[in-house]
Amino acid sequence: MPELTIAVAKGRLQADALALLARAGAVVSSAALSSRRLALEDESGRYRFIFVKPSDVPVYVEHGIADCGVVGRDVLLESETDLLQPLTLDIARCRIVVAARTGTSLRGLGMLRVATKYPRLAAAHFGAQGRPAEIIELSGSVELAPVLGLADCIVDLVETGATLLENGLEEIEVIGESTARLVVNRASYQLKAAAVATLIAALEVAKAQVSNLD
Amino acid sequence: MSEPLSRIPGGMRYYFGPEAQLRRQVEATAMTIFDGWSYEEITTPTVDYYSLFELGMGQAEAQRAFRFTDLDGRMLALRPDVTSAAARAAATLFAERERPLRLCYALPVFRQQPQSHAEWRRESTQMGCELIGANTKVADLEVLLIAAELLRSLEFDGGYAITLNDVGIFNGVAERLALDPLRREEMRQLIDVRNAADLELFLTPDTSPEERQAFAQLTQLSGKRETLAAARRVISNDQSLAALDRLEGLWDVVELLGLSDSFEIDLGDVSRLDYYTGLTFKIYVNGIGVRVGSGGRYDGLTANFGKDEPAVGFVLDLDELTDVLGARAMKDTVARQTLATPSGITDGDPATLFRGVLDRRAKGERVLLDLISI
Repeated sequence: MPELTIAVAKGRLQADALALLARAGAVVSSAALSSRRLALEDESGRYRFIFVKPSDVPVYVEHGIADCGVVGRDVLLESETDLLQPLTLDIARCRIVVAARTGTSLRGLGMLRVATKYPRLAAAHFGAQGRPAEIIELSGSVELAPVLGLADCIVDLVETGATLLENGLEEIEVIGESTARLVVNRASYQLKAAAVATLIAALEVAKAQVSNLD
Repeated sequence: MSEPLSRIPGGMRYYFGPEAQLRRQVEATAMTIFDGWSYEEITTPTVDYYSLFELGMGQAEAQRAFRFTDLDGRMLALRPDVTSAAARAAATLFAERERPLRLCYALPVFRQQPQSHAEWRRESTQMGCELIGANTKVADLEVLLIAAELLRSLEFDGGYAITLNDVGIFNGVAERLALDPLRREEMRQLIDVRNAADLELFLTPDTSPEERQAFAQLTQLSGKRETLAAARRVISNDQSLAALDRLEGLWDVVELLGLSDSFEIDLGDVSRLDYYTGLTFKIYVNGIGVRVGSGGRYDGLTANFGKDEPAVGFVLDLDELTDVLGARAMKDTVARQTLATPSGITDGDPATLFRGVLDRRAKGERVLLDLISI
């Protein structure tokens, strides 16, 4: 019986997260990884991993189905879930930015149309600035929206900026940084205190090792 | 309207069969235990003035209530908590009564906006007690031990944790840093989610590097007695130290009673600081990811209703508890809770039939009338 269930966001940060977890003693064999199973145990049998969509990680952890999760800060900001965030993992670093077509100014507009995958985050950002904004929620290819005239600007996650550039967009403003976080369920944090503390400590050591390598 | 009749509003649900029975049993267990500690049952109005809950819970919490207007235009609310009305009753209806006052209840509360994604219910039943008019260590312990007895009686033995904190610890630190209300709230949130990295960044303008690292540890201080010693190494203001002493006083007794396995100290639990004035605690049980109860000391509350006196209490969420117990009962498959086999009753004219039925009922037997073949 595994001590902890860890939900890992599939996609962008999965490989880095698994590498860090392996360094921290939670090793998933490559044979297990190459299978298509979405739930598997690590080699020690102490951890069970589940692989889910990034936005579902907070859901599994908040309900306590997973005790812990590894997910980007962008997802946490958007989901407004009630989770503990005891550790930042310096992986999957990127920026959350406002971007628009190169050369356009958003200043003169009385009302902004904003296309984004992050409606809450975008609304909060422009709300704090006191700018009226119509939020247009999209689920992908957000960079197209200003190009085709659906929106004046976008709020999106940017890693290198290459996609923006290729679509004729430029960064106007950085809203925040996003890196992966270890999140923990509130009840698990108390009821499985020892196992959670062990994992946090091991990840801290692993994180330090990686930053020394860099 | 084209709305199908089958649909019910979000966050509402039916209870029936074994689950409804289990709810009643859990509620009965709780009320028996409250009674065993000499708590008197109170039923507060289901509908009350909204302003009561603003005074009792604070505006942010009260806003989650279902609201509507009375005939005279005053705003009403479906009771979003019981403590507000209990505190008002203590200050008004029971003003002349001898102290301390011990009140308990098991009542549904309604919240238009659920607490979180995992706590999706908009109607839930709170089982709770309030001890009003005493601010001693013994009063705090009485309430904690009632909570522990309740969880033990429901056979959560070993599978529950009651986490203790004292708001004085955070308040002392916030005062020492002279934070304005907005920054204070930001710091509270960072500690609440145990985000040590961002807390250090947040503290950078106001503190030296050593102080910063020390305060950031606040997020990670949880455990048994050693937590208090660790906290004393990083905190030096008088208010926080006095709070740590109070916690230690409670912990001494918990330990002597042999209950330290079920209790934890958790200095990172800093929710609802505007409401509580001393001890705070949260209750977790194995099998569910959300807390099933919370409580603490709220000495300022009854002053809002014109009689300033200390108070301490807690609530447990009946629905969350029965969710866990129900899932466990299904696993057990032992029919501990099932009904006795009904006695079949047939033939005879109605009078003869019912004479027999009434006899059996008088003996306390369970009957089931076959209405088809009679």
